Amino acid sequence: MITLENVTKTYKNSTVALRDANVEIAKGEFVFLVGASGSGKSTFIRLLNKEETPEKGHIYVAGKDIGQLSGWKIPYLRRNIGCVFQDFKLLPTKTVFENVAFALEVIGRPRSVIDSQVPAILDLVGLGHKSDGFPTELSGGEQQRVSVARAFVNRPLILLADEPTGNLDPATSVGIMKLLDRINKTGTTVVMATHDRGIVDTMRRRVIEIDRGAIVRDQARGVYE
Amino acid sequence: MPVKFDYLLRETTSNLGRNVTITLASIMTVAVSLALVGASLMLRSGVENATQRWQGGIEFVVFLRIDATQQQIDSLNSDLEQSPEVSKIVFVDQEQAYKEFQTLFADSPELIDSVTAKDLPPSFRVEPVNKEVEAVESLGVTYEGRSGVDQVVFASKTIRLIQQLSSRLTVGIFVIAAFLLGAAGLLILNTIRMAMFARRREIEVMKLVGATNWFIRVPFMLEGLVQGLVGAFLAIAGLAAFKPFFQKWLPSAQDIPLVGGFQVSGGEMTVIFMTLGVVGVAIGAIGAGIAVSRFLDV
Repeated sequence: MITLENVTKTYKNSTVALRDANVEIAKGEFVFLVGASGSGKSTFIRLLNKEETPEKGHIYVAGKDIGQLSGWKIPYLRRNIGCVFQDFKLLPTKTVFENVAFALEVIGRPRSVIDSQVPAILDLVGLGHKSDGFPTELSGGEQQRVSVARAFVNRPLILLADEPTGNLDPATSVGIMKLLDRINKTGTTVVMATHDRGIVDTMRRRVIEIDRGAIVRDQARGVYE
Repeated sequence: MPVKFDYLLRETTSNLGRNVTITLASIMTVAVSLALVGASLMLRSGVENATQRWQGGIEFVVFLRIDATQQQIDSLNSDLEQSPEVSKIVFVDQEQAYKEFQTLFADSPELIDSVTAKDLPPSFRVEPVNKEVEAVESLGVTYEGRSGVDQVVFASKTIRLIQQLSSRLTVGIFVIAAFLLGAAGLLILNTIRMAMFARRREIEVMKLVGATNWFIRVPFMLEGLVQGLVGAFLAIAGLAAFKPFFQKWLPSAQDIPLVGGFQVSGGEMTVIFMTLGVVGVAIGAIGAGIAVSRFLDV
């Protein structure tokens, strides 16, 4: 599903964010990216989403070399990739329902699809009863659930999560991880960057450790360190 | 992918409503500058129409006094006819002058009512053999000061004066209008930039979930177009309302003899209005286009 071949990414201030990375992630895998702040986890995620372009090497997502992808095709790549962030990125002026519906609306899905899909996904994340609330009226965990619902409502092949539990307490984090696990079980590939030792050690999934841009460990059913 | 109409309508109106004051500022600037352009175009076509009446080789006109006797007229007539330097003369009596006056001021009935045939001087319109300016003038002045003659008016002089005045006015107004249009374009650009800034979170999410670039751009471009178009519409409405005053404000046939009313026909007004519409839309599109390409990183 995801292949990185000798990928190097250097930022303009000559920080090497990723050096000669080779990774192969199969369909349906659940992968943790671990490492210190600034080690290159976020760059890894941003490269998959083509928010960044690699300097060297090739990145294949769903069989396509996205390094060669022309600008107007990037939106179509992103429709296959859901994204969840530490800061949720919800729109404060829209209700929970509208926030999720927005993701379908802006890719041109018809109203009928929106009206059937959005309530279903809100029920899946356990927020069906709060669909008319605004993000500010929700707890952090609930907001992250909305954000997961938005990322997953279009049934993407891949779900990228950049520190999704970074702003949440441990108990709430467990809830989010259960949700991501459920999504993974539907066959969606999940790549999650995290600092949360507890979660990584409990879930025992594949762990890729990045240290100053280099992949130093790639372990099936791994632990945080 | 088709961009849905209701989406565009909703986004464009909410963008326009978000910065009402700035939006109004740009619309008003477009309106004022286009109204100036329109007014100068009206002036120009009015002047063209007015000077068109000097056709058929008429180079100067000998205006008689209103109280000129028939004897004085006959004597001048025979002199003109016998002169080898004159190729053609047309005598316009008071009745004819009044008829001409009526046509020239067809849309100012109150003016026509206030003037009678007796107020208008009879005149001889003269086409000389030699049409060089000096020859025409030296011929014309020989009739000045004759008994019964009020004044001799030379076409070349009058027309040159009016045309010069109008072209200078037109150029001046166009320069001012060009600056204002530039300001309008910048204002539109800035309004759209602010709209983008206000919506930066939405744009970020739209990019994230895979909205196409055009889907993100089009509402902003429409916003600029609407501002340009509304501005042009206001300018057109203003000019249409202003036209009767415009017609009166310009010098009448009495102030500049024989250069008739500065009529601007309905057809000419339509062309001017269409020009303004096109320029308004173009300003909006240019402002929006620059804003979208420079400040919208999609």
